[in-house]
Parts: sequence; structure tokens; C-alpha cells
Amino acid sequence: MPLIALRVNGRGVETDVETQTLLVDLLRGPLGLTGTHVGCDTSQCGACTVRLDGRAVKACSVLAVQATGREVETVEGLARPDGALHPLQQAFVDAHGLQCGFCTPGMLMAAACLLEEHAQPSDDEIAHALEGNLCRCTGYVNIVAAVRRAADALAAEDVAGARA
Amino acid sequence: MTAGLADEARRFGSGQAVRRIEDAALLQGRGRFTDDEAPAGALFVAFARSGVAHGRLLGVDTAAARALPGVVAVWTGDDLVAAGVRPIPTATTFRRADGRPLAAPPKRALAHGAVRYVGEPLAMVVAESRAAARAAAALVEPRIEARPAVTDPAQAMAPGAPVLCDEAPDNVAAEMRHGDAAAVDAAFAAAAHRVALDLVNQRLAPSPMEPRSVLAWTEGGRLVVRLSSQMPTAVRNGIADAIPGLAQADVRVLVGDVGGGFGMKTGLYPEDIAVAWAARQLGRPVKWQAERVEDFLSAVHGRDVTSRAELALDADGRVLALRVRSLANVGAYPSTTAVAIQLLIGPWVTTSVYDVPAIDLHLRAVLTNCAPTGPYRGAGRPEAIYLIERLMDAAARRLGLDPAELRRRNLVQPAQMPYRNAMAQTYDSADFPSILAQGLALADWDGFTARREASRARGRLRGRGIATFLEWTGGNAFTESVSVRVTGDGMVEMSSATMAMGQGIATSYAQLAVDVFGVPIECIRILQGDTDRANGFGSAGSRSLFTGGAAIRVAAQRTVEVARGLAADALEAPADDLEYEAGRFRVAGTDLGIGLFELAARQPGAAIVAEDQASAQGASWPNACHVCEVEVDPATGAVEVVAYASVNDIGRVVNPAIARGQVEGGAVQGIGQALGEQVVYDAASAQLLTASFMDYALPRADGFRDFRTAFDPSIPCRTNLLGVKGVGELGTIGATPAVVNAVVDALAAAGVADAAERLQMPLVPARVWRALREGASGY
Repeated sequence: MPLIALRVNGRGVETDVETQTLLVDLLRGPLGLTGTHVGCDTSQCGACTVRLDGRAVKACSVLAVQATGREVETVEGLARPDGALHPLQQAFVDAHGLQCGFCTPGMLMAAACLLEEHAQPSDDEIAHALEGNLCRCTGYVNIVAAVRRAADALAAEDVAGARA
Repeated sequence: MTAGLADEARRFGSGQAVRRIEDAALLQGRGRFTDDEAPAGALFVAFARSGVAHGRLLGVDTAAARALPGVVAVWTGDDLVAAGVRPIPTATTFRRADGRPLAAPPKRALAHGAVRYVGEPLAMVVAESRAAARAAAALVEPRIEARPAVTDPAQAMAPGAPVLCDEAPDNVAAEMRHGDAAAVDAAFAAAAHRVALDLVNQRLAPSPMEPRSVLAWTEGGRLVVRLSSQMPTAVRNGIADAIPGLAQADVRVLVGDVGGGFGMKTGLYPEDIAVAWAARQLGRPVKWQAERVEDFLSAVHGRDVTSRAELALDADGRVLALRVRSLANVGAYPSTTAVAIQLLIGPWVTTSVYDVPAIDLHLRAVLTNCAPTGPYRGAGRPEAIYLIERLMDAAARRLGLDPAELRRRNLVQPAQMPYRNAMAQTYDSADFPSILAQGLALADWDGFTARREASRARGRLRGRGIATFLEWTGGNAFTESVSVRVTGDGMVEMSSATMAMGQGIATSYAQLAVDVFGVPIECIRILQGDTDRANGFGSAGSRSLFTGGAAIRVAAQRTVEVARGLAADALEAPADDLEYEAGRFRVAGTDLGIGLFELAARQPGAAIVAEDQASAQGASWPNACHVCEVEVDPATGAVEVVAYASVNDIGRVVNPAIARGQVEGGAVQGIGQALGEQVVYDAASAQLLTASFMDYALPRADGFRDFRTAFDPSIPCRTNLLGVKGVGELGTIGATPAVVNAVVDALAAAGVADAAERLQMPLVPARVWRALREGASGY
């Protein structure tokens, strides 16, 4: 079994994995990060979306060994260091952007990637970025609204930060 | 302080769009879904499933599977039958035409003697790892003598068709007739207008994002089953019934977070029994997490009804009679519920909001080599409402009337409340004409012509569709209990047997509790999903708020009264002199008082406990007017929803944000049925062709989202003390006919009305394009 070293939510991790172990199984199993969910077996639903070196990937389609030497960020690492909710998380609360919450971690990580690449996306751009993430509860109405709200909140933070 | 708390209570009480108390955990990866539990020493289950749709099961060779490293046990249906494991029973409520009870093959945990659909579990492997279990399951070799299979209910009823169970040589599991056939025949004979439609309400996969999952272990001689379910008590009772030597008291069912239900997670599945049995045999925790393909293959599907529906009208467009002939494909192992949905629950709303004097319904539930059907959001009501709403539009076209005007002429009037429909169901409260008028106004119905012209200028065919409708909610289970524990450390714990599955019911309940207790919402904790705490019907049929919510209120009130007596002792004052507000008892006219939680701290066990129950007098009848506009691209047949407005009567609204989320999220599911979703079996082999999200087209984020949604809270429900009506299924029921009516309208305006009326869902581009071509060429 290969030994791999990676960073997960800012912490160094060294572990043995089977070569065929998927990143999502490493996260959910040995690392106990069960916030990343598995909703299908064909890479369609996006519930397992995490960030790998900042980019949104479906953790069911990445081998754990492929994450060697790289930075993985999961929903557990999204909140601010002081424990405050990330603006995306807060926006999902404020806009009723989740119902059962099963797809939500994947939505959050896909949206976090989008907003870093594109600070002020249009609704259509948000929807396009989330096309690989299925939600059965919300009809996406409030998910897209939440991401737009988060974009505005992050922009306001940037303005405030620049003033400070 | 007191004023501040009272103010807080007002802000977090019912009627406010309170932020959900469920969200913080779910947004930080701290949800507890079944598969998130990983007890030490857990074993993993994989099922071997039939790849053959129909045949005699001669035997199952498990030697290769047993030999695989890591495999702990392999069991087949023969093993379970030998051990006395019983099939899931059906009730005798329904009958065949020959008077014999509902005929269905015995639904066993694992197939025994025969297989009847592709995906039927026939062996269970338990292994030290999930990978080993799956690898071993692939090595299980069933010996099946294949027989011809049938997937179409009409073909299944034809002479010579493959027979699924000896008690039903015609494959009709059960059938019902409702109404007065002679009266309807007479009405049709005398009618000025008759319209008829052949309509297919296609098979759907409910597809909650969390697939089924079951974890079982033994604890102090009892069996504990932790699973994703809407009905913990039904699972407990079902497992106790199936597994020899178990009483209900020997089984505890726990449910944590549920990643969507939509009806699919009601009742008991064969896999639940198998996993529970394995845990009992092995004395170790045993877990099964369904792969998505397993849910497509063997979780219940919804709908799947083929109908001929006919309406008779007088010269003024007044409906005289409704006649329906339906075949419901209930699959290989129908549950009583699956049959009830099609033969009884749907019919209850079949005349909907209209004053229809005579009906003649003949409905048959037919066995086929497809997966069993069961509840899916709406469960019978979407099928019934689709029929009547398609007929109303077809009739309006025939009479040359505005479809809204035809509906207006037929609505049950407020003065007729309570109104008893042709199925002897009583609507307690409604103002259908007002809801229709409000819906038309919100949709700017009268401004449609200009929008149609604008679409035409862009090369698009625009259509509008309307659905005015109601639904029945409650599951015919109208009593709920709630037990309350006020703790000295400042919490109010309320236990309910209803079940959260994403609908925000804990928040809504907490708001109702805040109304009574007047404490901050953070102090309210709603406990669900533990059959050692509470038992009941569970959550289905949009029943939770109006039954369970009513119980929250009365149990909270009971608790305050119990506490009042304790406060009287503590304050040495007559109970009648005590005022309660914002978590505090006060002797009227004095500053003498005691806080609820302080009072609790002084009690034995540092808690105040109370319990009460509430009963609704009957179903609630939420109703609505949904108006949809679509654009069709005549070059491709692609349909785009471009406007959607709805006005909904759900009685009093406890949380407007949650209610809106239910209606709009539900409407997207209804749009999914209209435009994209369909479970497809190959007709010859009965193989499932849509077994993944690559083949089964769920709505995605780039679909329609721009809903205009309004509620009219001025018509409270009269059957429950909260005045609320169910909301969970309303959007799904209304959206499907509204969208399809809009597409038919667009095509009819393009001159292909006949072809458009023959279109069947889902209205994928190829079908719409063909209708445009064939219609234009005089098809």
C-alpha cells in the first residue's frame, strides 16, 4: 500500500491507502470527514465535490493517491478560522438554500471554487457552474440565490478589507 | 429582559420566515446521515441481484463468493425461508374482480423460487469491507430458468401473457370501480360536448439525493436498526413481523438525518429485513449503503398509469360527467399502499376543485416484471389531477372558451363548503374562485397575447397552461402525540413520531413551541427518529405540520399548565394568580416570579415533563392555481419554461420561507416529470435502461428558477387547531399539468392541436418536434 502525504483542510495527513482507494473514501473513512457525501456511482450528482488545490473536483472520480502532495479542502474546512460561517454558508442559511442538506456540501465547494475564479458571476453563470451538482429538494431556486448573495457579501468584505 | 424575550419570541414564532435550526450542522459537514456512522467492527453488506426479469429460481451457487477473503457470510432466499423469515404482508383491503383479495407474489427479503424483476435481491454477502462484499456479490451465481417477461400492463392482461402470480391469472392484482356508470352513460348520451384523451403518466424514480442506507446491530439483547426512513415505527413493526423471535419491543429504530424522502423512504424494504437479520445472526454491526443503481433498480418507482379519460359537458361548458379507465403498472411486488395510491387515494381528488355531478371510474392495478411502484411526492393525486386538468384544457379548446373561463364555470363555490365530492370526500374550507382570480392576476393572464407576439418575433412558439387543483393530505392518520421535557439547564425537548427529511419540520415545530413557551428558539430541541421515544405513522402525505404541529402546540400548552402548578407551589401563590409570559411565571400585580427553567431545575430529575396529543378531524385540502408559460423552439422541439406564477391556499402559514421552498422545489419536480424524467424498461427483456443519472434526466441548476409564488392565508383549515393545510406535495401536483397544458397550447396555436393532444410525457424535444412535423402534415 502506498504511503501518501497531503494536506486536508490545512492540516498535514500521512496515510497508507490502497491504490484503488477513491479520494472520497479516504475522506469519509480513515479521515472521518463525513460531510462529503456520495449520492451516485457515475460521477453525476456532485454531492462528493471537494476542492483539490482550489479547483472543484468530484472526489468519487479522483484516486486518493492522486491527491499526494496536494491540498484538499472539504466542507468541514470552509468555516472561518474563528468558527464563523463562511459567507457562502451564511448565505445558504439566509436564502433557505438547503432542505435535506445532502447535496449541500458539494454545492458549497463547487460554489466556493466559482467565486474564487469569478467574484461576481451572473445567475446564469452560477447555474452553469452548478450544473454538475444535483439537488432534488430546492429546485435550485434558492441555491443560485444564495451563491449570488454570498458573492455580494464577499465583495462587501473585500471593500471593507481594502478600507481597513 | 422579559420584554426582550417576548420580542424575540414574536420574531421567532409562527408566521415568520425564521432561519432554519437544521442548517448550521448540515452546512458544516456535521449532519448525521446513516452512512456517516461507522461503528467499530462493522461489517458491510452487498446484495446479489437478479439480472433476469422473470424466471424460476432453481438455486443460487454461493461457493465462489464464500471463498473470497474477507467474506463472513452469504445467505440466499432459501436460507432465510428455512430460518422462518416471513415475507412483507399485504392487507386484504383491496379485491380482484373475482372477489378474491389483492393478489401479489410474496415480497421476501431475498428471492425464493422465482425472480420477477431485474434488480430483485437474491443473495446477501456480508464481508469485512465494502469492497470485499461487492466483489463477492459479483461472484454469486443464480441458476434461473428464464421465462418471458412483460412490462406493459395492457400486454400483461392479454391472454397468454406471462403470469406473475397464480392467484392473478390475468395479472390484475386488484381493481375498483367508483361512481355511477349508468348515470354517466346517460350524461354522455345527452351531452352537448364530449372530449376524450389517452394519457400516460409515466414511471418516475423519486431520486432523493441520499440513497437508501441501513445499519443494524444488537445491543443488550435488542436489535437496533439505524436507517434513512420517513416511517421509523413502520420499519420497527415490519422487522418484528418478519424476523422470527422478535417482538416489537425487541427492536429499536433510529433515524438521523434523511437526505430526502419524497415517499420513497416510506414503509419497509426487503433489504431492511435482510440487514437486520444479518446483524442478529452475526452479533456485529452490519451496514448496507445502496449504490445509486440499486435505488434505480429496486427502490419504489412512482406513477406509471395509462388512462383513457373522458368528459361530458353541456352547451355552456358545465361538466356533466367524468369517465376514467386506468391501468396502473404496479410492478412485480406491489404493496397495499401502492395499490391504494392508484385505486383509492388518486380517485379521492379526481373531480378536484370542480363540481362534477357524476363519475364512473374503473381502475386496475396490474402486475408486471418491473420494480414495484410506491409513494412518490403526490402519490395518486398528481395522476388524478393531470387527467382532469388536461381534460379541462381539451374541453376549453373544443368549446372555444378561455381555459380559465371554463374552469371558472365549474368551480365548487365557497358557499358550498363543506363540500362533499363524488367520492364522498368532504372539503372543509376553500375559495377556489378567489384563488383562480389571484393566480390569473399574478400571472398577468390577460397580457399573454403581447408576450406570445414577442415570442413569435423571436421565432418561438409561446403557450400558456393553467392548473387549478386541490389535493388531499394526511395519510388518513390524524392523531399525533408529543412528549415534552423542560430541563433545568434551559432546554425544551419535544419528541415527535413524525420524521424530518429535509422539509424543515423541526424549525416549524420550534416556531409553534416558541408561540406557547415564549422562550428563544435556541432553547427548543425537536427530537425525532427514535422508536424508544415516540411511535406513530411517520411523515408522508403532507401530514406532519397539521397533525404533529398541532400536537406540539397542545403538548406545549399542557406543559405550561403542569409548570403552573409547580410554580404555584414554588411561589406559594394560587395557580390562578400566575401569569405566564416569555418563559416566566409571575404572581399577577407583583414582581414575584420564577423562570420556567429555574423551576425545572428545582424538580426531581431537574426536569418538568408532560405529554399530550392532538387529533385532526380529517384531511386537509390545500389548493392552488398554477400558471405556466413556455416557449417551444420549432426547429428543435425544445421546450423552455419562461414564466411560472402560483397562488396557493395552504391555510395559515407557519414559515413562509419554508412553504415557498416546498412549493417551488416541488414544482421543479413536477416540471421534471413534464419535460424530462422517465423510467424506461426494455419491452422485450424488461431490463432497466435508465439506471443512472446519465440516463434519468433530473432537473439541473440551469433549468427554470424564476418563480412568482404567493400564499393566501385567509382561508384557514377547519379540521385542525392550527388552521394549516399540507404543503409538501402541492407544487409537484400542479406543475406537471400546468407545463404540459402550456406546451399543448403552444403547439395548438401553431395549428397542430390534434398531434399535441396525443403527446405523452416527458415532452422531450424529439417528441415535440415530431408532433409539430406530423401535425403539420396531417398526421
